[in-house]
Amino acid sequence: MTAHAPAVSASRALPASGLLLGGLFAVYAVLVVTAPIDFRQGVVQKILYVHVPCAFSAYLGFLVTAVAGALFLWRSDPRLDRVALAGAEVGVVFCTLVLVSGPIWAKATWGEWWAEWDPRLTVSLIQWFVYVAYLLLRAFAEGSERAARFAAVYGIAGVCAIPLNYFAIELFGGGRAAHPANLGRGSLGEGFGWPFLAGVATSFAAFLHLLLLRIDLETRRNAREEGAEALEAH
Amino acid sequence: MSVFLAVLWKDLLAEWRSRERVVAMLLFSLLVVLVFHFSLPEGATRRQAEQAPGLLWVAYLFAALLGLNRAFALELENDALSGLALAPADRGFVFLGKAAANFVIFFGVEVAIAAVFGLVFDLDLAPAAAGLAGLLALGTLGICTVGTLFAAVAVRTRFREVMLPLLILPLLIPVLAASVRATTSLLAGGGLPWDALQLLLVTDGIYLVVSFLGFEYVLDE
Repeated sequence: MTAHAPAVSASRALPASGLLLGGLFAVYAVLVVTAPIDFRQGVVQKILYVHVPCAFSAYLGFLVTAVAGALFLWRSDPRLDRVALAGAEVGVVFCTLVLVSGPIWAKATWGEWWAEWDPRLTVSLIQWFVYVAYLLLRAFAEGSERAARFAAVYGIAGVCAIPLNYFAIELFGGGRAAHPANLGRGSLGEGFGWPFLAGVATSFAAFLHLLLLRIDLETRRNAREEGAEALEAH
Repeated sequence: MSVFLAVLWKDLLAEWRSRERVVAMLLFSLLVVLVFHFSLPEGATRRQAEQAPGLLWVAYLFAALLGLNRAFALELENDALSGLALAPADRGFVFLGKAAANFVIFFGVEVAIAAVFGLVFDLDLAPAAAGLAGLLALGTLGICTVGTLFAAVAVRTRFREVMLPLLILPLLIPVLAASVRATTSLLAGGGLPWDALQLLLVTDGIYLVVSFLGFEYVLDE
C-alpha cells in the first residue's frame, strides 16, 4: 500500500509541504541575494540558481509520470493515475521555467537567445513537446479510464525518449555548443555552492508542494463527479 | 505467431485491393518534392545535393504520418478494433502484424520516393543502394513502432489527425537525426557512420519493446 500513500494523504500533507517550501524559500532568497557576484558574468550568473534546480524538478516530474503510469497499468488504481497526471503537469511548469531562464542567460552571456541550438536546452524543448502532447492526449481521449491507460503508455515512451533525444542532439550538433559543463563537486566558485544547494532544495520542495496540490485537486474533482453521478442514479 | 501472420496478411490484402494508402502517400510525397522546389533558394533542388537527405526524410515522415493516420481506419468501422483485441494471443502480436504491414507498405513507397529524389536532385543512388536500403529499413522500423502504437491511440481521440503528429514527432527525433546523418554520409561516399547506426539500432530496439508491451493496454476489451 506504500505506493498509494501519497495520494491518500495529499490534502493532509499540504500544510507541512507548504511550510517547508516557505521556510526553504526564505533561506534561498537570502542566500541568493547575499551570494557573491560573478566577476566575469555579472549578476546574470544568478540565473543558475533558478535554471538548474528547475531542470532537476522538471525531469523528476517526467520520471514520476512514467513510474506512476507503469504502476497504474499494473494495479489499475486511479490514485496512481492522478500522481502520473500531477507529475506531468508540474514537470511541464518547471520545464517551461527552464526554457525561459536558459535563453535569458544565453542572451546575456553569448549574445544570442537560442545559441546554436544548445544540446541540453534542445532536449528540454523536445521533452516539453512530449509532455504537452501527454496533457493534450488526456484532454482529447474519450473516457477517463481509457485516457489514463493511453497516457500511461505515452508517459513511459516519453521517458524512454529522454536519453535517445540527448544522443540524437549530441550526434547532430554537439561539440559546437558551449553549455556549461555538468557541475562536479566543488566546481562552483567560493560562495556559490550554498545558494545553489538551497535552490535545489527549494525547487524540490516546490515540486512536492505543487504535486500534492495537484493530486488533491484531482482527487476532489473525481469525488465530486462520483458524487454527482451517484445523485443522478438515485 | 499465427495471429501475427493473419493480421499482416489481412492488412496487406486490404491494401492490395484498395491501394488507398500507397497512392495517397506517393502523391503526397511527390507534392512535397514540388513544394520543396518552390520554397528553397533558386537552384537548390538541383545543385545543393547536401540538402537532399534531410528533405528526403522530411518527405518520409510526412508520408508516414499520412499512412499511419489511416492505419486503423478500417478497424474503426464496425468496431473491428474490439475484434482485434479478442485475438487468441498476446496483443503484442496484433501490434507486430499491424506494424509489419505498415513497414512493408511504407518501405515500398519510400523506395519509389528515393528514386524520384535521385532524379530531381541528380544523385547517383546506385553505388549506395544496398546501404541506403538497409538504412531505409532501420528508419522505417523506428517510425512503424511508436507510429503504429500511437496511431491506435490517436484514432480513438478527438482531433485524431492532429493528435498523431503531436504524439509521435517528438519521439521520432532520434530516428530522424540518425537517419539523416547516416544518409548524408552514405551519399557523400563516406559509408555508414557507426555512431548514427548505433543510435538508430538502440532507438528501434527500445521503441519496439515499449510498443509491443504497451499495445496490450491500448486496445479495449
